[in-house]
Amino acid sequence: MRALVFGGAGSGKSAFAEELSRRLADGGRLIYLATMSAGEPESRARIARHRAQRAGKGFETVERPCDLAGLDVPAGCTVLLEDLGNLAANELFLQGKASEKALQDMLAGIARLEAQARHLVVVGNAVFSDGGRYDGGTMGYLRTLARLQNALAGRFEQVTEVVCGLPVYWKGEGL
Amino acid sequence: MILIVGGLGAGKRTFAAEYLGARREDMSPALDEKPVLYDLQDLEPLPDEAELLKKEIVICNEVGSGVVPIDRGERGRQEAVGRLCTRLAARAEAVYRVQCGLGMRLK
Repeated sequence: MRALVFGGAGSGKSAFAEELSRRLADGGRLIYLATMSAGEPESRARIARHRAQRAGKGFETVERPCDLAGLDVPAGCTVLLEDLGNLAANELFLQGKASEKALQDMLAGIARLEAQARHLVVVGNAVFSDGGRYDGGTMGYLRTLARLQNALAGRFEQVTEVVCGLPVYWKGEGL
Repeated sequence: MILIVGGLGAGKRTFAAEYLGARREDMSPALDEKPVLYDLQDLEPLPDEAELLKKEIVICNEVGSGVVPIDRGERGRQEAVGRLCTRLAARAEAVYRVQCGLGMRLK
């Protein structure tokens, strides 16, 4: 099963996605694929906190800030990819790719994960409804992230928004 | 009139085309004779409710889920877009919210 989980900052989407991944894995191998780039002290502190949260929950953590297409995961495992907002930022701003190239690379990388894993849970972001008018780079980032999420939502079996820790199912409730 | 709201890049026009049968050539970001208006949030001045109710489909970006702008004009604008959509939703025959390209019927 392929699932997209999205929501605002602090909405509980990570906890929901972790729980969904564990349920899908059903005792099988669980890979936590972290996209946050560990460059800054704040990021490092956040990563350490997230690692601790997952400790004892059965997740093996793999850090992969970009280039998902070059990654092998164990066949038949369950992968939790978190999150698309960081992945898109890394592809666009760290790698310096143009929007279209970044989008195609991310879609190809995620397709490769879909082919290898038994279950894939992807965490996305809800950052599109603030009415903000940003500079060109940020608008390009928002549009690229939106296109990525729209494409995944179209082909995945389940799409869930998390609000205050509660699921709002946009697709595939009950799966 | 059918109202469609959703965030930037949510896939609102694609939803209107694929699920509501709207034709791309019938869509316009200006208040003209075309039956589908999109980017309502960008129109200056904002049209009257009565004008918008004549449309088959009105599409508007959600703009109110961020920090309230410091600038008085932008602040008023954000509020006005939200209030207008609320009045349109009350009169619309159907209201959809689109996220990640998927639509949810709210009314």
